[in-house]
Amino acid sequence: MQIDMIFFAELVTPNVSISAILPELVVALAGIVAMVYDSFVPDQRRVTAGISLAGLIVATVILGAMWTADVPASAFGGMIAHDNLRLGFSFVFLLVTALTILISTVWIENENVPAGEFHALLMFATFGMMLMASGNDLVVMFLGLETLSIATYVMAGFRKTDLKSNEASMKYFILGSFASAFLLYGMALIYGATGTTNITEIASRIADPNFPALLLIGAAMMIIGFGFKAATVPFHVWTPDVYEGAPSPVTGFMAAGPKAAAFASFLRVFVIGFPLVAGAQAAGYLHETWITALSVIAILTMTVGNVAAILQNNIKRMLAYSSIAHAGYALVGFLGAGTATDAADRDAAIASVAFYMLAYAITNLGAFGIVTLLGQKNDRRAEFEDYNGIGFRSPALAFSLSLFMLSLLGIPLTAGFMGKVLVFRPALEAGNTLLTIVVVVAVLNTAISAYYYLRLIVVMFFRERTTEWAQPRIPAGMTAALVIAVIGVLYFGIFSSGIIERFSRSMPASRVVSNR
Amino acid sequence: MDLITENLLSILIALPVVGALAVLGHQLFWKQEGQLKWVALVFTLINFLISLFLLADPGKVSASGFFFEQNVPWIKAINTNYHVGVDGLSLWLVLMTTLIMPIAVLSAWNAIEKKVTAFYIFMLLLESAMIGVFVSLDLLVFYLFFEASLIPMFFLIGVWGGDNRIYAAVKFFIFTALGSLLMLVAIIWLFYAYAGIPGGTAAGTFDFVVLANAIKMNTLTFAPLTGTLLFLAFALAFAIKVPLFPFHTWLPDAHTEAPTAGSVILAAILLKMGTYGLMRFNFVLFPEQSREWAPLFIVFAIIGITYGALVAMVQPDMKRLVAYSSVAHMGFIILGMFSFTEWGMQGAVYQMLNHGVSTGALFLLVGFIYERRHTRMIGELGGLANPMPIYATFFVFTSMSSIGLPFLNGFVGEFLIMLGMWKSVILDGYHMLGWNWNTVATMFAGTGVIFAAVYLLWMVQRVFFGKITNAKNRMLADLSYREIGLMVPLLFLMVFMGVYPRPFLDRTESAVTEIQKRVLPVAGGVIAEAEK
Repeated sequence: MQIDMIFFAELVTPNVSISAILPELVVALAGIVAMVYDSFVPDQRRVTAGISLAGLIVATVILGAMWTADVPASAFGGMIAHDNLRLGFSFVFLLVTALTILISTVWIENENVPAGEFHALLMFATFGMMLMASGNDLVVMFLGLETLSIATYVMAGFRKTDLKSNEASMKYFILGSFASAFLLYGMALIYGATGTTNITEIASRIADPNFPALLLIGAAMMIIGFGFKAATVPFHVWTPDVYEGAPSPVTGFMAAGPKAAAFASFLRVFVIGFPLVAGAQAAGYLHETWITALSVIAILTMTVGNVAAILQNNIKRMLAYSSIAHAGYALVGFLGAGTATDAADRDAAIASVAFYMLAYAITNLGAFGIVTLLGQKNDRRAEFEDYNGIGFRSPALAFSLSLFMLSLLGIPLTAGFMGKVLVFRPALEAGNTLLTIVVVVAVLNTAISAYYYLRLIVVMFFRERTTEWAQPRIPAGMTAALVIAVIGVLYFGIFSSGIIERFSRSMPASRVVSNR
Repeated sequence: MDLITENLLSILIALPVVGALAVLGHQLFWKQEGQLKWVALVFTLINFLISLFLLADPGKVSASGFFFEQNVPWIKAINTNYHVGVDGLSLWLVLMTTLIMPIAVLSAWNAIEKKVTAFYIFMLLLESAMIGVFVSLDLLVFYLFFEASLIPMFFLIGVWGGDNRIYAAVKFFIFTALGSLLMLVAIIWLFYAYAGIPGGTAAGTFDFVVLANAIKMNTLTFAPLTGTLLFLAFALAFAIKVPLFPFHTWLPDAHTEAPTAGSVILAAILLKMGTYGLMRFNFVLFPEQSREWAPLFIVFAIIGITYGALVAMVQPDMKRLVAYSSVAHMGFIILGMFSFTEWGMQGAVYQMLNHGVSTGALFLLVGFIYERRHTRMIGELGGLANPMPIYATFFVFTSMSSIGLPFLNGFVGEFLIMLGMWKSVILDGYHMLGWNWNTVATMFAGTGVIFAAVYLLWMVQRVFFGKITNAKNRMLADLSYREIGLMVPLLFLMVFMGVYPRPFLDRTESAVTEIQKRVLPVAGGVIAEAEK
C-alpha cells in the first residue's frame, strides 16, 4: 500500500529534471535532426557532419558547465547520477565521436558511404554511451547499452557489399546479443537478491541481501556481460574479426567509445554498487570474489592481448589485440578503485580509468585515422608490408603514427604514459599483494608490447620501400583530426595536471547521488 | 646573467629542443639540407658554453648539497614536481654531455648523407633527454627522461645504422625498456611508502631529496622482502643500462650497428646513466640492500672485466672490439662504486668521465677509418701508420689512455678504484684460499688492465704497423682539419685529467663522500652484517 502511494505521488509530480540530462538530450536531438535532414535532402555529408559536430560541441559546453554548476545530484528518482564518473566518461565519448566524424571523411568520400545515416547512427550510439555513464540504475544502463549496441551493429556492417564487413556485423550482433542476455540475466538476479535496480540502493542492501547466492551469480553474469562489451579475456574472441572486418573509422570508434562506455557502467555497478561493507559477511564475500575474479581477468586480458598482437601481420588486427591489452591495463585502475579505502581515493581511481580511456581514445583514433587514410578503398592496404619504408616519404603521417604507437606503448611525454602511471598508482596504493602482482604483470606486458608497437616504426622508418608510393591526399577533416590527436597526445602527456584534477574532483557531499 | 644562472639547468634541457625545432624550421623554409649541420653545431656549442656556468660559483647550495636547483609543481594531482639540481656527481656528467654533443655532430659532418633533417633533430632531442636524466631530482621526472632518451637512440641506430641495425635497435630498446619499467613500479611504490609513514604527511612524494632524507633519518623503512624487491627493481634498470655482465648482450650489437656519432654518445653518456643511477638512487635510497647485494655486483663486475677483455681480444671488427672493451671498463666502474670506500667511489666517478673521453675517442677514430675504407675489419687493414701518421699517433695515444698508462687519465681512475677495492671492508668475512675476497677482486681487476693492454696494443699493431698488405690502404688520406679539431679537445682532456685530476676530484668529493656515508654509515656494523 505504501509503495502504491509513492508510485502515485511520483505520477503527479514526477522527479524530472531536464537540466540533468541536457548533454544527452542535445546529442540525441542532433542525431534526429541529422537523420531527418538526410531523408529530405540526401547526400549532404558536410551538412550532416556539421549538425553532428555542432551537437557535440554544444553538449561539451553544457557538460563543462555542469562540472561547476549547481546541478541537482539526482534526477528521475535517482536513475540519473551526476558525479565525476559520469562527467569524465561523457567527455571521453564526445571527443571520440567528434574525432570519428572527422576521420571518417576520407572513408565517406572514397567509398561513397551514405553519410547522413552514418552520422545519425553515430550520434545515437553516443547518446547510448552517455546514458551508460550517467545511469545510476541497472535499467537505464541496459537501455543505454542497447541503444549503443544496435547502432554499432549497423555501423560495423556499413560496407554492404563487402563480405568481411557483413561477417563482422553478423558476428558482433549474435555474440553481442548473447552477452546482453547474460547481462540482463545478471541484472534480474541482482534485483532478486536486493529488491532494487538502483545502484545506490543496491550498495546499501548488499550487506544483508535476501538471497546471497543470487547476488554472487548475478555479479558473475554481469562480469560476463560487461566483460564482453569491454573485450576482456576470455570474452574477447569476437574482437579481432569484428575489428578487422569493420571499416577502419568504425573500428577506431568501437575500440575507443563503446569500450569506455562499458567501463563506465562496469565501474559504477561494481565499484559503487558492490563496495566493501565493514562487518557484513555477504558484502565482504562478494567484494573479495569480484576483486579476485577481475584480477585474474586483468592478467589474462593483458597477457593474451599482447602475446596475440605480436603474431599479427595485419595492422587492424594488431590494433584489435592491442585494444584488448589496453582493456586489461584499464582494469588495473578499476581494481584500484575497487580496493580504495575512502571516497576521495575511489574517485581519484575512477578518474584515472576515465583518463586512461581518454588517452587511449585519442591515441587510438589518431592511429585509426592514419590507417584509414593509408588503407585506401576497402582498407586494402592494412598489412605491415604495406607500410614499408614510408617513413621518409610521408614524414608527417609516419611521425604522427609513430607518436601514437609510442603513446600506446606508454613512453613518457605522451598521454599513454600518464594514463599508465595513473592506473597503476591506485592499484599499488592498496598495498595488496594480488594487486601488486597485477601491476608487475602489467609492466612486463608493456615490455612485451614494445615489440609490436616498435615493429610498425621499424617497418616505416628502418626498411626501404621497394614498390611505388603515392602520397595520399589528406582531406581537411582528417587533417583536423590528426592535429587534434597529435596535440592531444602531447598535451595530455605533459600538461595533464588540470584535466586529472577535474576528472577526480569529488562532488560536494550535498550533491552526492542519493535515492530521493 | 642572473636569468641564466637561475634557470641554468632548464636552459640546458630546453635549448637542444629549441635547436631541434630550428633544424626542422630551417629545412621547411629554406630546404638547404647542407646547412642543417651548422644549425645543430651552433646549438650544441652554445649549450656547451652555457653549461660552463655550472663551474661558476653556484651562489646558494641547498641543505642536501644540490645547487642550481629549481622546483616547480608539474602535475599537482599526483604530486610530482619538476625538480632539478646538480651536485658534484652529476656536474661533470652534464658537462661531458654538452662537450661530447658538438663533437658527435662534427663527427657526423660527412658521414650522414641521408635523412639529414631527422638525424640532427634526434641528436638534439637526445641531448635534452640525457641532460634531463643527470639533473632530475624527482623520481618520476627522472624516469621520464630515462625512458625518453631511448627513442632518439632507437631511431639513430635503426635508420642510420649498419646492416644488422633493425635487430640491434629493437634489442637495445626492449632490453633497456624492460628494466626501467620495473623501476616505474618501484617508484610508485616509494610514493606510497612515503605516504604511509606513521605520523608523516599524508601525501606521498616522488621527490628524491625528501625520500632520501626520510631514509637517512630512518623514518622511512622497508620490510626486508619489500626493500630487496625495490632495490632490485632499480638495480636491474641500471645494470642493464651499464651494462653489467650478464645483461650486456645488447651492447656489442648496438655499438657495432650504430653510426659513429651514435656509438660515441652511447659509450660516453648513455652508459653512464646506469652507473650514475646506481650511485645516486640505489646507494642512497637502499643503503642496506646495497651493502647486502654488493658481493654479487662485485662478482659480476669482475666477470665483466675479465670476460669483456677476453672477448675483445678475439674480435676481428675494430668497433666490436672497442664495444667489448666498454663492457670491461664499465665493470671497473661498478667495482669501484661497490667498494663503498671514498677512493673507490671517487675513482668510479672519475672513471665514468675517463671512459667517456677515451672510449668516445676510440669510437670516433674507428669511425674515421670506416668513412675512408668502408670496413672495420682488422684483417683488411694494416700498416696504416705510413699513409696516415697523424691518425696513427692519435690512435696510439687514445689506446694508451684507455689502457691506463700513467700520466694519462685512465690511470688515475683505475688506480683509485683498485686502491679502494683493496681497502674495502664490504667483502670482509668472505675468504678464498685464505685470502680476503677484496684482495682477490683487486687482483682480477689488475689482470683486467693487463688484458686491456693486450687487446688494444695487439689491434694497434695489426692495424698500424707492419707492411701494407692491402693496396687500398696505400693511398688513404690522413685526418682533415675538422677531424683533428674534434679530436684535440679529447686528447687534451686525456693528458689534463691524467696529470692534474684535482679540479675534478675536488668538485666530486663532497657529493661522493655524502653518498658513501649514507651507504656505509658505520664500518663495524657492516662487517657484522656481512658475516651473518
